[in-house]
Amino acid sequence: MLTRKLLNLRLGHLARRWTSTDPLSIQNEKLQAYLESLRQEYYAVRVNAAGNSKSYARLAQLEGVVSALEQRRVLERHITSAKDMELEKDEDMRQLMQEENEVYVDLLGKQDQTLLQELLTLSDDEVYTALIFGLNAGAGGQEAMLFAQELYDMYTGFFEHMGWEWEEFASESTDIGGLRHASLMVTGEDAFRWLRYEAGVHRVQRVPATEKSGRMHTSTASITVIPRPADIQVHIAEKDLKIETKRASGAGGQHVNTTDSAVRIVHLPTGLAVEAQSERSQLKNRELAMKRLRSRLVQQQLESTEASKMATKKAQQGSLNRNEKIRTYNFVQDRITDHRVQGGTLHNLDGFLKGGEQLSGLIEKLQLEHRKERLKGLLETWQPPKEAIKKN
Amino acid sequence: MLRQLPRSLRMTSRLRTQVNYATNSPTGQSQIPVTRALEIGRWAEKLKAAGIEDTEFNLKCIVSHVLKQKFNSVPDSFAQLKFNPGQLADFERFLEARCARMPLQHIVGEWDFMDITLKTSPSVFIPRPETEEFMRLVIEDHKNAKSVDLLEVGCGSGAMSLSMLHSLPQVEATAIERSKAATVLAAENAKMLGLLDRFRVHNHTMEEDKYLPEELKDQKYDLIISNPPYVKTEEFQFLHPEVVVYENLNALDGGSDGLRVARLVFDLACRHLRPGGKLWLELGNDHPPLVKTIMNLKYEGRLKFVASYSDQYKRERFVQIEKV
Repeated sequence: MLTRKLLNLRLGHLARRWTSTDPLSIQNEKLQAYLESLRQEYYAVRVNAAGNSKSYARLAQLEGVVSALEQRRVLERHITSAKDMELEKDEDMRQLMQEENEVYVDLLGKQDQTLLQELLTLSDDEVYTALIFGLNAGAGGQEAMLFAQELYDMYTGFFEHMGWEWEEFASESTDIGGLRHASLMVTGEDAFRWLRYEAGVHRVQRVPATEKSGRMHTSTASITVIPRPADIQVHIAEKDLKIETKRASGAGGQHVNTTDSAVRIVHLPTGLAVEAQSERSQLKNRELAMKRLRSRLVQQQLESTEASKMATKKAQQGSLNRNEKIRTYNFVQDRITDHRVQGGTLHNLDGFLKGGEQLSGLIEKLQLEHRKERLKGLLETWQPPKEAIKKN
Repeated sequence: MLRQLPRSLRMTSRLRTQVNYATNSPTGQSQIPVTRALEIGRWAEKLKAAGIEDTEFNLKCIVSHVLKQKFNSVPDSFAQLKFNPGQLADFERFLEARCARMPLQHIVGEWDFMDITLKTSPSVFIPRPETEEFMRLVIEDHKNAKSVDLLEVGCGSGAMSLSMLHSLPQVEATAIERSKAATVLAAENAKMLGLLDRFRVHNHTMEEDKYLPEELKDQKYDLIISNPPYVKTEEFQFLHPEVVVYENLNALDGGSDGLRVARLVFDLACRHLRPGGKLWLELGNDHPPLVKTIMNLKYEGRLKFVASYSDQYKRERFVQIEKV
């Protein structure tokens, strides 16, 4: 008896969902029509695809949604309707039907989640394979710079966690271990789709290490995420380089034992000069200096190309306002609050600042919100094609 | 006088608060800021007076060694660093030694060579920055080879062979070395770097008709590398104090024209290189043209001079020779 009651409750809930007005519920009529139109588009494209790479790309995009939709329909068919249930006289049989229904309703719920997930992925648009990740200490002096360094460690940890390549091409740190600013280039298929939600002002509230009277401070650091256009290439010719070390003259080799490690490289065509002395090995310093030079040249090109200006503009319109305060790190209460999502409060700051699962979990949440918004917008403006209506 | 007294009192009290602040360290021992230790000892001046260039780099090496931190993790400004009394004593002892021109690499007990860090030991030759450049060329030349049997003549600390083994997995290396201390050090370094399975070092002195140890006498190699002693006898008076006093002169003495040992290596290469195999040598300033002449006159049909290369200081110092 109890199970039947529970089941009734659940079915009742399902019935209510049939009349749902939530635009992102699978039961919503418009969404259903939209899904059907995607399915029809999929088959139409598949028939005519023959050798057209654009068509294949579209097919690959649609495949997930369509197969999820079809699986869902199969499941739906397995559920015995209430009417059939009433017609069934045998009590045992009816019991069985209900048990079966229970399983299928459960499966259907899961399938709906999958379908929604696929649909949401479809609503992503921009694809950039690389981006420029900027980190700037904001208000709060030394403390803000210390916080910027912590964010730097968190994000570089996160890049590693996600398996993205990254390279630093400019940074300025302070003596007490803080960071004024840093620019990193991050390369990875989906890096932009994840990191775009991190752009904005991050706020820290704590008693700084530099504070003697134990007062709590609020400081900020800001993050910019700019997609990098794909066409930037830097070629450095050996003959364009002037490589200098401290030791300019005198005997070399076995005759002397100088620890000549600092290197300075001048790029003659642009006049750019870079130095490296953080390693004991001269060769390592030279590699480091070359890397810096390359990055500086990339940066120079980036700043000059019209394409990147356009991309930047677009990225800023597409994502959130750069000057918005997006997240608070409160050390006193050991919590992180993201101001853009419901239930965006997490605990365990130390774990979060490692840039692993916790951060990716939060970004996933933000991603989902963003995709839902996009899908809602899409559905609002979407009109069912004429033929589809006729067929129905 | 009296008016000055309160001021000096105030100064000492300020000094005291500073010291108090420093003792608030977690270890509970009194600590001294590194910058202060430098000022008191006037070490920068002393190093300069001792004829050491690049004092900042020397200081940073020693500071990082004393604090047991990696060199590249120590900030250029020492403002945040502190010594405890033990470290301060070490610091001063090391700097005294440096002022007496003990090589920096011996003081810190290890040195970086390309991508690897090697232990150093008194009496074993310390690899130079140019040798990194030399090895870069050799590695570049062999990076696409399927497998390389490498022989190094006079490996010292093992820097050349080990850096090559470290960057190319297809290389197997054998080395000979006349100094016992260096033989032990090279094996130690190989073990430390986890390269012992591809590195064999033999304590052997190369002589005419006994170029390699008995067990290797029929071995052939794809590549022979060497940085043989090449300092001419007449040049010994111009060597740096670090070199004359602290380094094993056996590793430097190349006879009257600096090629005494190199000539032995030529003969060794004739016997132990496979046809098409390479001999790479790092030599002194005016040696490559001389080597070219020697090849043409004495080794025709056996060895062929391929090319010479300049180091980063634009000195023609490296030669590539091929077995015919």
